[in-house]
This record gives sequence, C-alpha cells and structure tokens, in this order.
Amino acid sequence: MSEMTHQQVEELAGAFALGALDPEEEMAVRAHLADCREAHPELEAALSAAMVMAESLEPVPPSADLRDRLMATIERTPQENRQPVTEPQKKPGRGWLDWFSPRVARPLAIAAVAAVIAVGAWNLSLQSQVEQRDAALRAVADAISGGQAAFRVEGAAGRGYVVDTPGEGAALVVTDLADLPPDRIYELWLLNPAGAPVAVGILTSTDEAVAVVQLERDLSGFSIFAVTVEAERVAAPSGEPVMLGVLGSS
Amino acid sequence: MTDPATLHDDGVLAQRIRSGDRDALGEVYDRHASAAMAVALRIVADREGAEDLVHDAFVAIWQKIDRFDPARGSLRSWIVTIVRNRAIDRLRGTRPSIEIGEADERALLRSGPNPTWESAMARLGSIQLRAALDELPTEQRQAIELAYFGGRTYREIATLTGVPLGTANGRLRLALARLRDRLSQTDAAPVAISAGDDR
Repeated sequence: MSEMTHQQVEELAGAFALGALDPEEEMAVRAHLADCREAHPELEAALSAAMVMAESLEPVPPSADLRDRLMATIERTPQENRQPVTEPQKKPGRGWLDWFSPRVARPLAIAAVAAVIAVGAWNLSLQSQVEQRDAALRAVADAISGGQAAFRVEGAAGRGYVVDTPGEGAALVVTDLADLPPDRIYELWLLNPAGAPVAVGILTSTDEAVAVVQLERDLSGFSIFAVTVEAERVAAPSGEPVMLGVLGSS
Repeated sequence: MTDPATLHDDGVLAQRIRSGDRDALGEVYDRHASAAMAVALRIVADREGAEDLVHDAFVAIWQKIDRFDPARGSLRSWIVTIVRNRAIDRLRGTRPSIEIGEADERALLRSGPNPTWESAMARLGSIQLRAALDELPTEQRQAIELAYFGGRTYREIATLTGVPLGTANGRLRLALARLRDRLSQTDAAPVAISAGDDR
C-alpha cells in the first residue's frame, strides 16, 4: 500500500481504533503516525472512545485457581529486562519483524522470510547446509502462513521466532543477529518446565540479515527457548541468556 | 470498573513489576483480571479458553512490562488490549504467540492519550457505558461490535452487512464519534474532548 495522507489516516480513525483495518492499511497508518508530526484529533478521540467497548462489559471473575496458576508460571518466567549479562555488540536494527499487532506481524514475517528466499541472502559453502537452511526457511514460511506455532524470541542478541512445524521439527529465525567475538558461539537451549536445559544447536555470527538454524529437538515437553554465549558447545549453559522466548504449553 | 485512584496506583504497580516484584503482578491481576476475562470471554465464548488467554496475557505483561509507558495510557487499557488482540487471534484460528503486545495503538500518537478521558471512563460504570452503546443506531452498534468483539475488518463488515466500503467505515467512525459525544455530556466526561462532527 502506498503512503497515506494525513486526511486518509483521519478518515480511517474509527476502523483503526477498533482494530478493523486490513494488515496493509494498518501498516500504512502506523507508518504515517511514526513520521507525522501533526496532531490527529479524530484518531485520538476514536482511540479513547473505543475503550468503551471493553469497559461496557460486566466484569467476569476468573476461576479461583487461575491466579495460582499465573503466579506459578511467572515464578519460572524471566523478565525481558533481566535477561542479558553478557551483551554482545548490537547491530543497528533494520526494523524487520518489528513490534506490530497480530495482523501486521504475520505478513511481515512472511515477507521477511520470502525476501531471504528470493534473494538468496545466505551463502554457505556446503550444499548440505544450503539445503538444510533452504528447507528450514520454507518450513518457516509455510508454518507462519499456515498459522502454525511461531513463538517470539528476543534479547540483546537479536529478535525473531522459533517456528514449530509438525513433522518437520522446529527452527529458529533471527534478524540482525548481534556480532560475537571470533572465539565465541551462540548455543541454543530448550528448557523443560522444571528448568532443565537441553542443548539443541549452535549459531555463529553472520553478516546475513536473517539467520536460520534448525533445532536438533522438537519443542514437545519444553516451555522455554534460550540462547547463551559460549566459548564452545557445552552441555549446560554457563551464563545468562541473550535471547529468550516462552513456548506454548507442551 | 476501576477508579481514578486505582489508575494512579497502577503506575506504581507497573514500576514494582519492572523491578521484578511478583506480588505487584498479583495485585494488578486482582484489579484487572475480571475486566480482561470479560473481554476474552465475550470474544471466544469459551470460559476455559478465555482463562488461558488471560493467563498468557498476564505472563506477557510480566515479561514485557518495560514496553508499557504510563505516559501513553493506562495499564488497564494496555492489559485489555493485549487480551483482546490475543482473543481475536484465537477466534481467527491463529496462534497468539506471534502476536505480542505493543498493544496500545495510542502509543503511536505524539500527543498521547487524553488522561482526563481515562479518568472519566473510570468513573463511569459498565451499566452507563452499555447504555451509551444501546443508544447507537442498530447498524452502527452492529458494526463496532463486529469489529471489536468479532475481529472483523471494515471490508469484511461491508460484505457481511451488504453495504459499500465507505458506509462500513463511516459507521465505525460515526459510532465512535457518537459515543464520544454521548459520554462528553456526562458529569464524568473530560472537558478537553471536543464534540465531534457527525459525518
């Protein structure tokens, strides 16, 4: 979709406030708002008025055990701002897979993967690795477009998704992976609900826009995905995670 | 429905959550889980599914509290929007994990939300707000409910209701303008909100 004018954005204020735009339109509105320095009185008023929809509902108390379940979950769930101890140097962000609403995130993810496939942005010397990554990228694109599980992961090292495709395993897709010293690698982990880590692969620094690696295990039985920085592949993480993601219930 | 003092206290609670205080998350849950549950249940119409959505949303809030900016809106509206987005994902058969929440679109506005309006909303009860919705013309109410609770785009609403795109978009716009005007007439309304045009 081409750029929207200020007037066009205001005319779509109601639909935007109610989450009723197509993904392309929503992206265009957000792009306009990111750059526009003018006030948007109708949009602002519409967003405030849209709050009536939720607040008009009679409150519904959750069941008594939901609070206990929540508190048990967060007991073992780290916060984003508490992740990195070892912080690799971060590359400037390209804005891919940025922080959008669900309708926008999905086409963006598909577009990012499709772009990598189209231009052959990765360049490996071993044919088997090319085939492996090619297969993983196709699996990622298929998984996301097909509504399969895609779990957001992020941290100081980069951001992306762990995508689970039934029958084909899981893959990590990361954009703008932070550089590492030459004597360090990224090691990938899956953690079960008890917090026990299992090594599922490694990743090295790359100049490519998107790094993809197939995990050595599927996600069944695991609740957390993590990445640490190591000197070599190890059996247990030696430091704090530089990327984290919470997986769905296994 | 929460009160203005709660809105203020939510900022303190958000700070405590930021510092890793799990009890603060529990307090936020106690204040807002019923509102979040109401939205989730209205959208997915399944109590177990709604509770899963509320659970997952509060976990996301715990993880991503750094993304909440109190200068841009209330914690309550942030929470409700996260739950609503996830519920719509569920309704559409997609996975909630690909969405995560920079949920509140108002954060995009340079001027930010109108905090007075948030306080005014907080002083009104759900009964008054439902009454305001009930006063809308049927086609406008139907349109905004299809959008907000049904996850339909205005293009889909146009198809479903057999009207041109411009009409569907106009109904959403006009419905919100009328709601704004209607609530501006209450004692709780913010003075900074001007009456909207009824195009």
